[in-house]
Amino acid sequence: MSSTSATTPAALNFRERTEGYMSLIGPMVMILAILMVMAVLEPGRYFRLSNFDIILKEAALYMPMAMAMTLVIVTRGIDLSIGSVAALTAIVMGYMVKSWGYPWWLAVAAAISLGALCGFINGMVITRLKVPDLIGTLAMDLVYRGFCLIAVKGIVLSRFPEEIVAIGRGEIPGFLPLPVVIGLVTLAAGWFIYSRTHLGRYAQAIGSNPEAAELTGIPVDTYKVYVYALMGAMAGLAGVMLAGKLNAIQATSAPFFNLHVIAAVVVGGTSLFGGRGSMIGSLSGVLLLAMMINALVTLRMEFFWQSVASGVVIIVSVAFYTWIQRKDRDGKSSLLEMLLTPENRRMMKFLLTIIAILALIFGLGGLMGPPVI
Amino acid sequence: MITSETVPIITMRSITKRFGGVTALENVDLDIRAGEVLAIVGDNGAGKSTLIKILTGVYQPTSGEITMNGAPLVMNSHADSIAKGIDAVYQTLALADHLTPAANMFLGNELTRTFLGLRWLDNAKMKLEAERVLKERLGVTLRSMDAATESLSGGQRQAVAIARAVYSTDLKVLVMDEPTAALGPQETARTLKLIETIRDQGIAVVVISHSLDDVFQISDRVQVMRRGRRVGVVETAKSSSKQVLGMIVGANEIEESAA
Repeated sequence: MSSTSATTPAALNFRERTEGYMSLIGPMVMILAILMVMAVLEPGRYFRLSNFDIILKEAALYMPMAMAMTLVIVTRGIDLSIGSVAALTAIVMGYMVKSWGYPWWLAVAAAISLGALCGFINGMVITRLKVPDLIGTLAMDLVYRGFCLIAVKGIVLSRFPEEIVAIGRGEIPGFLPLPVVIGLVTLAAGWFIYSRTHLGRYAQAIGSNPEAAELTGIPVDTYKVYVYALMGAMAGLAGVMLAGKLNAIQATSAPFFNLHVIAAVVVGGTSLFGGRGSMIGSLSGVLLLAMMINALVTLRMEFFWQSVASGVVIIVSVAFYTWIQRKDRDGKSSLLEMLLTPENRRMMKFLLTIIAILALIFGLGGLMGPPVI
Repeated sequence: MITSETVPIITMRSITKRFGGVTALENVDLDIRAGEVLAIVGDNGAGKSTLIKILTGVYQPTSGEITMNGAPLVMNSHADSIAKGIDAVYQTLALADHLTPAANMFLGNELTRTFLGLRWLDNAKMKLEAERVLKERLGVTLRSMDAATESLSGGQRQAVAIARAVYSTDLKVLVMDEPTAALGPQETARTLKLIETIRDQGIAVVVISHSLDDVFQISDRVQVMRRGRRVGVVETAKSSSKQVLGMIVGANEIEESAA
């Protein structure tokens, strides 16, 4: 095909050359925004070495899970059960060291293995029982959380051996904190898995085109189970890190691990539609969320605003990536023209109607005068 | 041009395939010769797809026999047919769009290297090999081997899918199901050129197509199917699209030519 070879190299356009870095642009822009806002509002308390230590330790807890969740989402899957898996494995580890007299390292190994077993069960529910991943892992989340409650009732397990506490919050003198090292090592291992092993390659192929993966002879279901088992193992590791960090664990620990980790991964440019993922993106996503939560704390915002901020960040980043990947961005000549399509006019009327109804309701309330107590 | 006297590499004789009570194929013969493009045409439901699925080991015939170079050939799965040098390129191409062309070419069959007893993917070698196969076997140079396959044109995607099939060096028969169905005129021309290129390397190419224009441009012989039977085989050079069309719809009686 001479016509194609005529246009040999150097013909890559801007988008093709920057494609690989797209997953970093989103989080980087938002991290810069946070840094700038904090430089204006609270430079003294935010830009302190001790504060970055806190941010890194907060982020470290989510790094192993973000690594595995990247692979899960790359296969077009999702795992909502990781919070319960982390709590369950930490509780079992707690009993092993405190009640049953196991050495700390055996208990840690048991927590990670038990996590892998939970992930394996998730994988079997999805591939063998054909329950969609969203429903399957949500239901298993209830099951694992139930086991946590059955096991400890309302008790808080605390005061773990110092080795386990070190895994959660230990400092290596003159170097990064131990949990940060663990987190970065898992992410590096994740990068290797993603780009250099069959597991990573097949995860991408399965998420990109499941039928093609099947046709080329990839055992699709087997590799999905592997990915979910890895996810479970990393949730188990996170359970150990959480128990060490707090030096306590209870049945209701780690309630929002799933959404926090999915948010970090999606913010990092991994596509929820499968096939495209980035470990470096997930690392920056985890750092971004940790910095954002830390910024809210530094600004003395009420704790509950964290939930609002996390949700907004997810929406903004997913919308950003969708917009980036659109091929026909310049369809209309002006912004106004784009906003005034017939469909948008109709939406505008609909919105105005809802606002009018709300105004009417509140207005009626005002007419009735103040409530009588 | 290869004459009809050449010994076929694959012969299928009296192939019958029934699905429950439905007879999809009845006593169908097929001859495939090396270095020849054989087109199979026919209306929807004429049995073209069933026939090539038997050829590629996906289905097993209810009765009839297949021989390869004179020896009986029994295939129980598509993997068997690939091992014998018979592979297919599907209409959807079965490519993972987010992967690089090299990753797609080696999908399910990756090159690996061993270090400290661990085996991992040798991406650099796969990239070099893919580049070499595309250039040497198909004459295609891609702008970038690192860009995702989704950024390639239709003809280039076809080239990647064909390269996957020809990579096994002893490929003898390549089956292509509707290779030009979703392509524009320019990409169609490129795809037909690819088919000629691999035919000239002595590979037998079996093309299923609805486009008689393409069939007459590319094929050496045309086998016409109708309602699960072979209604005839014509040499493209000695036929016209009007005659073939007549056979497809069953308008005129024809005597079988070459067989």
